[in-house]
Amino acid sequence: MPAPEQPAGDRIGTTWTPSHEDTKPTWGWILQAVTGALVLVLVTLHMIANHFVVARGLRDFQDVVAYLSNPVIVVLEVAFLVVVTWHGLLGLRAVLFDFGFSPRIESWITRVLSVLGVAIVAYGLWLTWVITSYH
Amino acid sequence: MSEQSVERTAVERGAEGASTRRRGVIGWVDPRGRRLGGWAFILNRLTGLGILLYLSFHLVVLSLLARGPSAWDGFVSVAMSPVFLFFDVVLIFGLLAHGLNGIRVTLVGFGLVVDRQKAMFAALMVLGAIALIIAAIRIFEVG
Repeated sequence: MPAPEQPAGDRIGTTWTPSHEDTKPTWGWILQAVTGALVLVLVTLHMIANHFVVARGLRDFQDVVAYLSNPVIVVLEVAFLVVVTWHGLLGLRAVLFDFGFSPRIESWITRVLSVLGVAIVAYGLWLTWVITSYH
Repeated sequence: MSEQSVERTAVERGAEGASTRRRGVIGWVDPRGRRLGGWAFILNRLTGLGILLYLSFHLVVLSLLARGPSAWDGFVSVAMSPVFLFFDVVLIFGLLAHGLNGIRVTLVGFGLVVDRQKAMFAALMVLGAIALIIAAIRIFEVG
């Protein structure tokens, strides 16, 4: 989905507001708002699950293995990983776009960050698999 | 121009601040003509980058789990040192500042509470400060 024509720096992230009457929120901005809202919920659950469910929170290796033996927790943590990776890299993209690179460089930034995002999620899934299959 | 619309313009401009603001990354740290919205923008960017730095570290540290109990438990004992606990408090500061300000940015972006966003920002930051104090006490108490 191509972003509509807008001044550099306003295409994404935190700079777009309704005061820019001539512009519309872009897909990047909306995605950032949606993933941001999801991160807010998931990071809260992540913190509660990690630090408050078990007394004193997760500590040693066995605590972590026991924690991830619950499928609900695996779903929560994987969802958090995906959403926070998305939000973080989209935010980094907004920061990088503030440098005012050429459109060609900008599309490369988007591509590299997308690959990085997929790699991070793959790493997280692999790690989850390693821990859940630990005996 | 009503007083409200003056305030609204100044806050909403956020990143741009005064019309003389330099665009791009240098513009972030240029304090001239910066209003509250501009400071909120810088706070959001810097805490966002700080959290990214933390998350990178977090992902690398978690790889110790793949190396088994002794590698992981060794790290946990280091993570309970006062220096690490202090950085935990810094992390909580970043998360609260970024998350709570993000609520304001999102609401305003969708055209909600635009006229009262200065008050909303202040209220959210007071809430964040209270939560930070409680978290800091808990972190150093429990270890």
